[in-house]
Amino acid sequence: MRSLAGYVWVDSPLHRMGAGPKLVGLLACALLVVLATTPLELLAVSAGVCALVAVSRVGWHAAGRAAWGLRWFLLMVLAMNALFFSDADPLVSLGPAHLTPAGLAQGARVVVRTLLVVVLGTLLTATTRPQELVDGVRRLLRPLGRLGLPTEAAALAVGVTVQFVPTLLRESRQLMRAQEIRCGGVASHGIVRRAVSYVRLLVPIFVSAMRRADELSCAMEARGYRIDRPRAADTTGEGKRYQ
Amino acid sequence: MSQVKKVVVAAVCAALGIVLPMAFHSIPNAGATWLPMHIPVMISGLVAGPVAGAATGVLAPVLSGLLTGMPPAPMLPPMTCELLVYGLVSGLLSRVVRTGSTTADLYISLVGAMLAGRVVNGVLRALIFSAGAYSLEAWLTASFVTAIAGIVLQLAVVVPIVVSLERAGLVPPRYPDPKE
Repeated sequence: MRSLAGYVWVDSPLHRMGAGPKLVGLLACALLVVLATTPLELLAVSAGVCALVAVSRVGWHAAGRAAWGLRWFLLMVLAMNALFFSDADPLVSLGPAHLTPAGLAQGARVVVRTLLVVVLGTLLTATTRPQELVDGVRRLLRPLGRLGLPTEAAALAVGVTVQFVPTLLRESRQLMRAQEIRCGGVASHGIVRRAVSYVRLLVPIFVSAMRRADELSCAMEARGYRIDRPRAADTTGEGKRYQ
Repeated sequence: MSQVKKVVVAAVCAALGIVLPMAFHSIPNAGATWLPMHIPVMISGLVAGPVAGAATGVLAPVLSGLLTGMPPAPMLPPMTCELLVYGLVSGLLSRVVRTGSTTADLYISLVGAMLAGRVVNGVLRALIFSAGAYSLEAWLTASFVTAIAGIVLQLAVVVPIVVSLERAGLVPPRYPDPKE
């Protein structure tokens, strides 16, 4: 398991850009990735994503860390598509499985698309502080507030979620290491034992996460934060920091 | 539970809905088999109510799709609707069902949500997302055969986790001790 990149402290045009435009840009880029079907289109989108990584100055290692964590899953997606997508003109056949050029192409397409979206998501969290993200979501959702939707709560929920992902990943890794020390390496077990190992970790992971939620909500309320009461800073259009 | 805590609990459960599938992705076909994203959504509904559960059901798949590419874009709309129903129904049933036993309440709410989410998912796929290309057999296979490990896992861990959270004093007890 690898973490999504947290915020990377460097100065770049992407770091200086507002969270709102970055969120809209992420959605637009993800749409482009989904719509790209031909190898040429995928190559062009990949080149664009590589250019964004270079401009962001977060480093290739940080940008690709989350994607590397999905390597076994992506290999399985590639294999499943290559073997079961089609049975026309098989290169090799083994029972119901047929290794076909069309299947390989489909598998590669799915894997490249997934990798690109993962890198784009990593770039967003690596170049945007959680509070900036909350403010960006709040600004984007502001028009919906006129329809009576709870935009303040939605912005807070998005910000807390994004902020907690790296924290919970870190805690999960610590719990897994503690279990490895007690029972041996989780990764070296078979599939069923590995799954059982993860299941045993669920209760401590949830209790730890809920304890953090409890502490955060208590801290926010102690500072006078209320969902249903607009804060003074909001009247000026500035999001007031709750932390 | 205060409004702020409900929002934070929903958000933390959504974060767990992103983190747990990443851990399970080292196991082949784990997403469809073990359903790791369902667990925090149902727990959010059970401990923080229907609105928080529904919010977690929307946030977890959408943000996971944006940040990790999982679930892939074609699976995102039906999965979001299914998870929304899990969170909503588990919260609603948890609020309505009062048998006098915390465990019984939670199991009734959990099973009701599991059934409701699967039914809504099947109906939406049949009528909207895979109209004309979705059969009863495909729904039964995806919902109750492929996912049998995930169903057993949910029945085994969701209620003990909620009870553990109550015992740890992190969520309000369903039946407060009158002596306290």
